[in-house]
Amino acid sequence: MSTVSETISRGQSARRMRVDGWRWGGRVFLVFMLLYTALPMIWMLLTSIKSGFAAMQFPPQWWPDQPTLDSYQKLLDPQNSVGQDFLRFFWNSLIVSTATTILSVIVAVPAAYAFSRFTFPGRNFLFFAVLLRNMFPAVIFLVPLFILMRAIGLVNTHGSLVLTYLTFGLPLAIWLLKGFYDNIPVQLEQAARIDGATRFQAFMLIVMPLSTPGIIATAIYSFIGAWNEYIYAYTFLSKNEQLTLPVGIQRFFSENTTDFPGLMAASFMMSVPVVVLFLLLQRYFVRALTEGAVKH
Amino acid sequence: MTIVSGKADARRRLQSARSDVLRKMWEHRADYAYVLPAIAVMLIVIAYPIYYTIELSFFNTPPGLQLRDKIFVGFNNYTAILTSGVFWQVTFNTLIWTVASTFFSFVLGFAAALALHRDFVGRGVLRAILIIPWVISAVAASYIWKWIYHSDFGIIGAILVELGWAERPPNFIDSVSTVLPSLIVVNIWREFPFAMIMMTAGLQTVPEQLLRAAKVDGANAWQRFWHVTFPHLRNVSTVTILLLAVANFNSFIIPWIMTGGGPSNASHIWITHIYELAFGRQRWGVASAYSVLLFIILMTLGYFYVRALSGNERKDGSA
Repeated sequence: MSTVSETISRGQSARRMRVDGWRWGGRVFLVFMLLYTALPMIWMLLTSIKSGFAAMQFPPQWWPDQPTLDSYQKLLDPQNSVGQDFLRFFWNSLIVSTATTILSVIVAVPAAYAFSRFTFPGRNFLFFAVLLRNMFPAVIFLVPLFILMRAIGLVNTHGSLVLTYLTFGLPLAIWLLKGFYDNIPVQLEQAARIDGATRFQAFMLIVMPLSTPGIIATAIYSFIGAWNEYIYAYTFLSKNEQLTLPVGIQRFFSENTTDFPGLMAASFMMSVPVVVLFLLLQRYFVRALTEGAVKH
Repeated sequence: MTIVSGKADARRRLQSARSDVLRKMWEHRADYAYVLPAIAVMLIVIAYPIYYTIELSFFNTPPGLQLRDKIFVGFNNYTAILTSGVFWQVTFNTLIWTVASTFFSFVLGFAAALALHRDFVGRGVLRAILIIPWVISAVAASYIWKWIYHSDFGIIGAILVELGWAERPPNFIDSVSTVLPSLIVVNIWREFPFAMIMMTAGLQTVPEQLLRAAKVDGANAWQRFWHVTFPHLRNVSTVTILLLAVANFNSFIIPWIMTGGGPSNASHIWITHIYELAFGRQRWGVASAYSVLLFIILMTLGYFYVRALSGNERKDGSA
């Protein structure tokens, strides 16, 4: 009897030790990843509250001696020229991203619904053609799109950006939403049709509410993509008052190369809207990926 | 169905098949209305540019992009590319950049997803922090890291000096030998959260019962991972790796903002090189020929991407 219980307890402790080994490995790894991820962002914040002089010291001030919000004040002050530019870039980015988001939801929802529900000839071909868009870099399309935009008179307008941004948000949006619609039983719609709803009513009242997480995820993805886009904005826009944030900041700081606190403050403020948006809605995003793209 | 049929019979069947497709298309004409907006946008912004790129690659177009004055040069642009030394250097850089970024992003992201799979206090906060680099703009990320790598006032250099590992702060991005690895570290910083999100979503689909059954049968943690979890994630992993590979192959912003391809082309990858050829030196023909080559490579990758995705589809149908 005693030997049996001894073996059992020895086996258990051995297993616990092995499990603990994995768990400790995981913890150490997570601490490493946390440092890798967070330290650059912390350094950005610390630099942004230094004066220009304090930032350019060696060895650096690990913690600013005299923290100051000067850089933020300068960027957000509509009275001086820097602040005017920054606020205008911010506003431009907001308009372009919002327009892109609304349009891509309007275009992606019916397309995804059709790809999920209907079996028309060429459906698979069209579906994969849409997905293939994700494969190609912006640079391939840059020259011809520039010519195209010049031809239809959209160069130096925000319309050129919205039209282009639509296409790179669409493939993932359609793919995600199709997965959602695939998981919504057709019988629900059929029941609504039998009760006298039109196809459109059935769609609006039954399918749309059930696919809300997918639509939210799609919208976030489009917004973040448009907010952060750089190459097209860099190429299509040349007038200073139209620039979006990424290009605007780059233009501005290629002239003021040593103003690192200002640059870090601008980077921080440019990141705030998308980070907040994503953190608020990230559970929809992960859920949409799980239900829409991964689950089978 | 192996019976050899007459010519007339075959023709009739072909005809009826064709009219069948047309009839079906007609019957489903309303369905196309749903996809029409998406397809229209795609055609304008994709099909037309691809056609144009191919055409331009066979011409020499003047720097101002006056299309009427272009001169047909046949395959000259292509031979010019393949015989230049820069081409091979840039290709080598692209290969290292893509493979290293994809590999480490995937491994780190997958490991983070696994480590965060078990619930513990603060898991949600930790996961959210790890995702942030993926959300912020690549332009902001490039400036943050440029400042971190700064050769005089960078924090990494300062730490190395403080610890006594270096006499003076090293030049991370101004030196030919360290520039590419330094940029890859930035790229991984931005890309691993994507792998983490995908794999987190994938992990939630692994059936708990299977894992518990394996545990009862005496499988240890590694065996459970290797024989139960991992096979379940094969498809997600394939799609994730392919998407990462394509994204990395196509990256532009980080090398462009941080170094502009320098010093002496050491951090030029295909896309930055094409951009510089087109918009910097205005050699539209050569840049277009590069794009066509790139296009061919991506189509090959795209073939595997579609195969991986339709693998999912087929499984979906049978389930």
